Amino acid sequence: MPENKCPVRDLIGQLETAIDSGRLSNPRDRRRTEDVLRLLRDVAWGGADKQHLPAMESLAAKLAQEGKTESSTQVGKLIGSALMQHREVFASHIETHNCATGDCVKLAPAPCQMTCPAGLDIPTYVTLIGLGRDAEAVEVIRQDCPFPWVCGLVCTRPCEFMCVRARIDTPISIKTLKGFAAERAMSRGSYRNPPKAPDKNKKVCVIGAGPGGMSAAYYLALKGYGVRVIEAQSVAGGMLLLGIPRYRLPREVIDREVAMLKDLGVEFQFNTRFGRDINLQQLKAEGFAAFFFAIGAHKSFKLGVPGESEFPQVIEAIDFLRHVALGDRQVPGKHVVVIGGGNVAIDAARTCLRLGCESVTLAYRRTRSEMPADAEEIEQAEEEGIRFKFLVVPTEVAGSDSCVKGLRCLQAELVSKPGQDRKYPVPIESSDFTIDTDVIICAIGQKVDAGCMESLEGLEWTRRQTINVHMATMETDMQGVFAAGDAVTGPATVIEAIGGGKRAAQSIDRYLTGIPQPTLPPVPTRRGRIDHLEVSAADKMTLQRPKMALLNVDRRRTTFQQVELGYPENRVREEARRCLRCDICLRCGKCVEVCRDKMGLNALQMGYFDFDHPVATDFRVTADRCILCGACATNCPTGAMQMEDRGGERVLALCGTLLNRQKLLDCEECGTVLGPAQYLDFVQKRTKGVARIAEDRRLCDACARKSSAAFGVDDAPVKKV
Amino acid sequence: MSKYYIYQDTKRCIGCFSCESHCKTKNNLPIGPRLTQIIPVGPKRVNNLPRMAYVFMPCFHCQDPWCVAACPTGAMQKRPKDGIVFVDDKLCVGCKACITACPWGTPQWNPATGKAVKCDFCMDRVDQGLEPACVTKCITKCLHFGTPSAKSRTTRERHARLVADFD
Repeated sequence: MPENKCPVRDLIGQLETAIDSGRLSNPRDRRRTEDVLRLLRDVAWGGADKQHLPAMESLAAKLAQEGKTESSTQVGKLIGSALMQHREVFASHIETHNCATGDCVKLAPAPCQMTCPAGLDIPTYVTLIGLGRDAEAVEVIRQDCPFPWVCGLVCTRPCEFMCVRARIDTPISIKTLKGFAAERAMSRGSYRNPPKAPDKNKKVCVIGAGPGGMSAAYYLALKGYGVRVIEAQSVAGGMLLLGIPRYRLPREVIDREVAMLKDLGVEFQFNTRFGRDINLQQLKAEGFAAFFFAIGAHKSFKLGVPGESEFPQVIEAIDFLRHVALGDRQVPGKHVVVIGGGNVAIDAARTCLRLGCESVTLAYRRTRSEMPADAEEIEQAEEEGIRFKFLVVPTEVAGSDSCVKGLRCLQAELVSKPGQDRKYPVPIESSDFTIDTDVIICAIGQKVDAGCMESLEGLEWTRRQTINVHMATMETDMQGVFAAGDAVTGPATVIEAIGGGKRAAQSIDRYLTGIPQPTLPPVPTRRGRIDHLEVSAADKMTLQRPKMALLNVDRRRTTFQQVELGYPENRVREEARRCLRCDICLRCGKCVEVCRDKMGLNALQMGYFDFDHPVATDFRVTADRCILCGACATNCPTGAMQMEDRGGERVLALCGTLLNRQKLLDCEECGTVLGPAQYLDFVQKRTKGVARIAEDRRLCDACARKSSAAFGVDDAPVKKV
Repeated sequence: MSKYYIYQDTKRCIGCFSCESHCKTKNNLPIGPRLTQIIPVGPKRVNNLPRMAYVFMPCFHCQDPWCVAACPTGAMQKRPKDGIVFVDDKLCVGCKACITACPWGTPQWNPATGKAVKCDFCMDRVDQGLEPACVTKCITKCLHFGTPSAKSRTTRERHARLVADFD
């Protein structure tokens, strides 16, 4: 079977064929097969619970053992083997209500949710925020991510890059909406921890109080484990606090969300470096049954140029940011060069500016479009006056008397290598020049500081010097030891660490309760299937992604105040209404096809359905051309397109976007609804050629039959009166 | 008109709805659609006695069917060889134009499939030389499947018997 085919859907197809073929001649066997099919359909439609799998298995076993005919036993074995072979996929359908392949159309997940490394149910919480139910939105988010506020401020938002709305105009501002909901819920006191499971009397030790470690701690604590988090620094937060400057992520935000963990009973042990202050044997002796390593990647890569280690003014960005975060706010120098093009480089540069450096230059070896840093960050840095030098390859740190004087560089050009997407900078000969500077900050990447884990024998490391784990379960090669976060992925994002921590927590729970570990990575869970927000077609098209209000540049250059000021409430609620609800509408295009090719109306212009060739989308044209026949809604496999009669009107809506609404006409005899005038005219126009009898009354079909019944009663008793 | 005709001897019909239920069984229909319908008329006082009539109303398979004209997808068709009007399931998209167009209210909505269904005289049975389900299972034998001329013959014979009243 091809990888991308859903085994649930596949088995349904096979059973349907078996039943339709009439092979199952024994009535009891046929009924049993139909029962399995019914249960399978529940699975494929998201209506199954824990009993479904065992029920199907027992039916399959009965069919295989007691089947009266050859074909019944065959079908029984077929079901049995499919259930055994793909048990994980069946179970994941039942648990997550998502079908990763999208073959089970009702369970086709939204692209944003599938892209999110932590699998947040974005359409659900965005809709909740649109409804003003911020606390519920936070509740939904925290089922997959314990730090909605942090993520709402600093997430790299892969979801927004996959957002289908971007094919129409701009993606939904998912990050900011999340941040707003979390802040609002926190300030109103409705940001609460979910109830804890009963105490399991088992202890888990988490090493590293970063986003990965704390996420695992949160989910383990919720499951009823005793959790202790060991942290080398004196504060919780890890890279959130030490790597991300305060003007992007205020410390209070981290503190408030970490406090929620402490509230759950998670114990923190600060100033304790694993491998130095404490080791595995000691922890095991204390009764910890499982260990989770999320030690991050705090060691910088070296530039590898002459002079680098001779001067104290050549500093590493991550150390610099850590010192600043921990309160050491000295100006590093007057003129600073930051080497690198990632978020850390930008953070270091902007921090320098805030500390009072006169000029800050960012030197990157590729061009602006290749910079891995967030586009908005780059823009904001530029506004603040950071200078950018592109295509720069440092060759030597120049200086004298242990004082840096400048950075010698070569100009480079981008050359594409065969078979690789990314272009490589190649230095141009004798193009060398010097950037005058007092301080050089290197931000060319980090690696895992493996020193503290040397004592762990049997732990496998990858080629990239990260901990080797099974990505589905975050298990390392040591029994009872799990790992996630930057220590596994290399320097990555907050949300990846959170996703890893969550996955690890689930695996640790399975490990400690003796449940076998899955082999497939988990599918994100659908946390709800809530009703659409109703929006008019005009609003859906014209609402714009709000522009983020920023602190004025003078403040930004002088203080560490938060730069992004967030959206006002009304813009947040409006922004949520732009969501296309891809968790319900799988954009299969059946509605468009039926309307255009079958009905010949072409009233639906959903250009964004076509991923490869997006054409213009306009929800507003529907009202002009649509006759409200309902063929689109009838052929919609997921119920995204809906037509209903209400308040004397027939209304057509796609995921809450009101495409068309028309007044309804009634049957003149009994008052039954006939349909809107456009629709009746459409039919009348088509029948004009044959409908010779002028039908001047609008009748429903029941009344039409009744009125014409009398014609047939030529010899009926009634007539004889 | 189609080549065929279902003649209902209303005198014999007791309104048992066997025809309707067997129609639904044969066509595997859910709650809702009723392809043929018995329309009760009455009661009326005839010679001081209450009398009911039950009128059997399948599709008339019109000469120029409005439903066929109304159908935008070509799903509703008239079979050239015998004039039976039927829906091609694969082509129907469920716009209900046929249901709206028909003056007799014949095409029905099948909520299970999201398509229109209508009486096709059980054309698969007819092609096998059988009678439609409703006729086959009519318990009073008041339904007769045949050609339109057969009906006039029955009517004439009955009239002749009335005229020649031996009592």
